[in-house]
Amino acid sequence: MRASIKRPPTPDAEDEDQDREPTLPEIINIKLIESGEKERLKELLRERLIECGWKDEMKSLCRSFTRKKGRSNVTVDDLVHLITPKGRAAVPDSVKAELLQRIRSFLQSAAL
Amino acid sequence: MSAPDENNKSSHTQLASHFFSELLDSVIMDVASESHRIARLGLDRNLDDEEEELRLSAQARARLADPSNSEANSKYVVDIFGQTHPPVASEIFDCMNCGRSIVAGRFAPHLEKCMGKGRKARVKATRSSTAAAQNRIGRNTIKHRRIRRH
Repeated sequence: MRASIKRPPTPDAEDEDQDREPTLPEIINIKLIESGEKERLKELLRERLIECGWKDEMKSLCRSFTRKKGRSNVTVDDLVHLITPKGRAAVPDSVKAELLQRIRSFLQSAAL
Repeated sequence: MSAPDENNKSSHTQLASHFFSELLDSVIMDVASESHRIARLGLDRNLDDEEEELRLSAQARARLADPSNSEANSKYVVDIFGQTHPPVASEIFDCMNCGRSIVAGRFAPHLEKCMGKGRKARVKATRSSTAAAQNRIGRNTIKHRRIRRH
């Protein structure tokens, strides 16, 4: 990581050999965001994870970690590293299936 | 025809998984950030206290429900100022209705009788039974009238 805050120089037009064409995931991402579907999907996921107690589980993990490490010593990074593996594993299959289905429908409807 | 469709499906599945993971990581990030904030601001302190209180009140309830406790303690309950009260209030004063000297602990039943004087006690019972009888008579009369019309 650079220590200086100065911006790196803007790439010149010569750097054409870089692939300027957006990749498929990038195109889809743009469509998801522009249509508002990405926000809706995230809200849906959040809602489902709250309903099934997943969020409470994660918050409880964070609390016990905080108790051990001490309130002032806890960083966001600590907590992210703590709950990411457990969080990914703890998502109920039904929730994952529902979201995947929604996303697939979107992909089909976007005619990709 | 089928081959490109299959390609499509598997790439759709891959893409869907990719976006799901992205959404999930985003939610995880939000939860971590929220929990971090709660931890640093000590907002979960109340939670721990609440959990403690819930436990203690459950314990207290269990103690009250326990029959071996109730007889001994109820007559000598101590209030928050450390005073104990006798079960029956023993102060004597004058009834404002009839002027008699009444023991405070017997005031309520005294009032029940005292304020009903001038008529017999328990007038309510008579009234309701009469009302029920009148209702019955009234209803029959109405039925009669209907029949006559037809």
